[in-house]
Amino acid sequence: MATQPKIEVGSDYKEKYGFFVPEDFVFKAKRGLNPEIVKEISWMKKEPEWMTKMRLRSLEIFRKKPMPTWGADLSVIDFENIFYYLQATDKQSKTWEELPPDIKATYDRLGVPEAERKFLAGVSAQYESEVVYHSLQESLTKKGVIFTDTDSALRDHPELFKEYFGTVIPPADNKFAALNTAVWSGGSFIYVPKGVKVEIPLQAYFRINAENMGQFERTLIICDEGSFVHYIEGCTAPIYTTDSLHSAVVEIIVKKNARCRYTTIQNWSTNVFNLVTKRAMAYADATMEWVDGNLGSQITMKYPSVYLMEPGAKGDVLSVAFAGKGQHQDAGGKMIHVAANTTSTITSKSISKAGGRTSYRGHIKIYPGANNCKSFVKCDALLLDDESRSDTYPYNDVDAENVTLGHEATVSKVSDEQLFYLMSRGITRAEAETMIVNGFIEPFTKELPLEYAVELNRLIQLEMEGSVG
Amino acid sequence: MVINTETLDQLQGEPGWLRERRENALTAYERLPLPSKTDEEWRRTDVSRLDPNQFSRLEHLDGQKLLLPEALPEGVILEPLRVAAEKHRDLIEPRLFSLVHADRDRFTALHAALFTGGTFLYVPDGVVIDNPIIGQHFSHESGTGVLPHTLIVAGNGAKFHYLDEYIAEHDDETGYRSGSTEIFLGEGAQVGYVAVQKWGRNVWHFSDQRAELQKDSTLRLFNVTLGGKFSKTRVEASLVGEGSNAELKAIYFASGEQFFDFHTLQDHRVGNTRSDLLFKGALQDVSRTVYAGLIKIAKHAARSDAYQANRNLVLSDKAKATSIPMLEIDNNDVRCTHGATVGPVDPEHLFYLRSRGIPEATAKRMLIQGFFGDVLDRIPFGHARRLVEAELESRIG
Repeated sequence: MATQPKIEVGSDYKEKYGFFVPEDFVFKAKRGLNPEIVKEISWMKKEPEWMTKMRLRSLEIFRKKPMPTWGADLSVIDFENIFYYLQATDKQSKTWEELPPDIKATYDRLGVPEAERKFLAGVSAQYESEVVYHSLQESLTKKGVIFTDTDSALRDHPELFKEYFGTVIPPADNKFAALNTAVWSGGSFIYVPKGVKVEIPLQAYFRINAENMGQFERTLIICDEGSFVHYIEGCTAPIYTTDSLHSAVVEIIVKKNARCRYTTIQNWSTNVFNLVTKRAMAYADATMEWVDGNLGSQITMKYPSVYLMEPGAKGDVLSVAFAGKGQHQDAGGKMIHVAANTTSTITSKSISKAGGRTSYRGHIKIYPGANNCKSFVKCDALLLDDESRSDTYPYNDVDAENVTLGHEATVSKVSDEQLFYLMSRGITRAEAETMIVNGFIEPFTKELPLEYAVELNRLIQLEMEGSVG
Repeated sequence: MVINTETLDQLQGEPGWLRERRENALTAYERLPLPSKTDEEWRRTDVSRLDPNQFSRLEHLDGQKLLLPEALPEGVILEPLRVAAEKHRDLIEPRLFSLVHADRDRFTALHAALFTGGTFLYVPDGVVIDNPIIGQHFSHESGTGVLPHTLIVAGNGAKFHYLDEYIAEHDDETGYRSGSTEIFLGEGAQVGYVAVQKWGRNVWHFSDQRAELQKDSTLRLFNVTLGGKFSKTRVEASLVGEGSNAELKAIYFASGEQFFDFHTLQDHRVGNTRSDLLFKGALQDVSRTVYAGLIKIAKHAARSDAYQANRNLVLSDKAKATSIPMLEIDNNDVRCTHGATVGPVDPEHLFYLRSRGIPEATAKRMLIQGFFGDVLDRIPFGHARRLVEAELESRIG
């Protein structure tokens, strides 16, 4: 008979993930948003003039753009009551030992060093708005791979930075991209030179730790021709009573024959607004894969997209969303076929329980001239009880010739037959349901590195216990 | 001529309550803004070049030509709607525009203000009509407004078939056309309804169809859209009684510069309800189609079963099909599936036929016929099926 360790999620979450260390900031900008604060952030970071100007221009765009009227209700965000910049320590640490003890304590509890010891090439952990811990394996440097925080990249690789920054997601793209461009801080910068394949996943941990603090990291990944990189972003956040805003921008350029995989496990505490713009440009015969898991946050609006710019490009989104009590996961994906002979797939799996709401929102756009494209979207939703809700909003626009486009979606509950089968073998209802849910998201978990897969399975198990059956 | 209360004077001889309704709808029309591209429903549907004032002259005032079964069973009322409004006010007043709301948008309001002709059909409890009832709506002139409205009331256990045919005398006519339908199904009623829209190729057409299904009733609704340079059709079914079952099917064939828009709603308000939607269309030349459908399952509508599919066969390089199948599910004890496809004729199928010596044009035609085949079989009665097959034949040929 199968036995599974029983762990209560709701009760020990605060101890496990919800701890926070006393705030100890070197610099903390005032609450609110205005040109002075933006200038101050830029000055603090000793940025070149073009970046200061870009930030100010983006702030203006942010002011002008209306709030999105679709998706989740965002009217409760009070932009004037947020810290837009914090810096926890004054210098970048090179090794684990050099980290300040309280920050180290935070990561010890998250298990970062252990993960690093096992298989990680470089850890670029984000504590507050600044990357404070950063280690890069020698082999990477030898290959010419740059893996650093975005602020250092602006300083150390200004030409590379300026060439690509804001080219995939311009500030005017949407209101939150404008906000991020105005006040961005931290995030990862990766450059993989021609033909280099980074075999070990690169990874960064993110944390929000100050009350009412917005986190606006900015990630830029450039995969030069024929290269490969797998970047992993994982988040946990402490529980606070007032709402926190997380609005990141991730830009990725995948050049000819290159392949990039970007894996996210988002597990913000359930008071965080997670409004993220993620986009990749894939050139000839390049492959871009988004593996996107959304478990936490109060509201997530996130639609990783791939612009298929040249023939042979391939885009892939694999998305999993889990919405519990009070949560709304508005996730999905976008595939923009600009060139002919490009292919894309979106697979979405969502689970709602205890009144949570998951929405799939997707867009397939095939531009005139982008002939012979293929695109397929599959969305499956599982509703665990009759309080929860699931929506599907797929938008499909085809403007080209000889295009094959398919969309399929199903919404169901845990099947009685499957339950009966398992229970007739002596497995309790709760265990059986957990097994079925884990099976449901298996296409997602099998794409994760082992450690993450184990962690995700445990998280699902935690979420399931005490809630179902 | 600008549309105002004087326009209503073309519609003489109606009871006061109806005139009052029309005036209210006209006020709504004047108040409501023209839908713009910022409205989700109209994002891909451009009405900015339509000026209804051009078509304020109404035609076809008393409506339909009815092809009746030889004798109608006792108690059945089948009359032009305007005539029936006087004689059967108690049956019509509470129902007219209670499903298709006059103030939903500018065009529903215009239809409610100016509807011409149309039909009222009332079939009492338990009455079965074997032969289909056929209402034919003609437009004779160019540049006019023709706006028939059909109101169907099926009593408990009633069973019948109804066909609305919208026919243009001249294929190159211009004008404003709308053909809206409200269907009330009593407990256990079984209704087959088919609408065949073949207005001229240059008209604007708006249609709102909505049915309300009581306990254990069954609706088989079938749309055929062929005419108009612009055609917008809403098909909505509210399942308000347990055990009700709505089958919503459609075929469309767009060619030239035609633009067709379909918005559908399967509204499961209670449990143990079933809906099955399949919209299939073929597109030629530079035509465009938009399909957006929503399945909505209310909180307590457990054990509902809903299916929704939109399949588009794109026959030309320049034609464009947009497909947006949506779900909003509030209950977990349901079975809900949807799918959409947009694509050309399968080259393998074409190759198979050609390898057997069939010329490409013939092979393509066979494949189009095959594409429509399964849904044609779902047309609820023989007369309509033969009619639609003939229409398709002439267009595919």
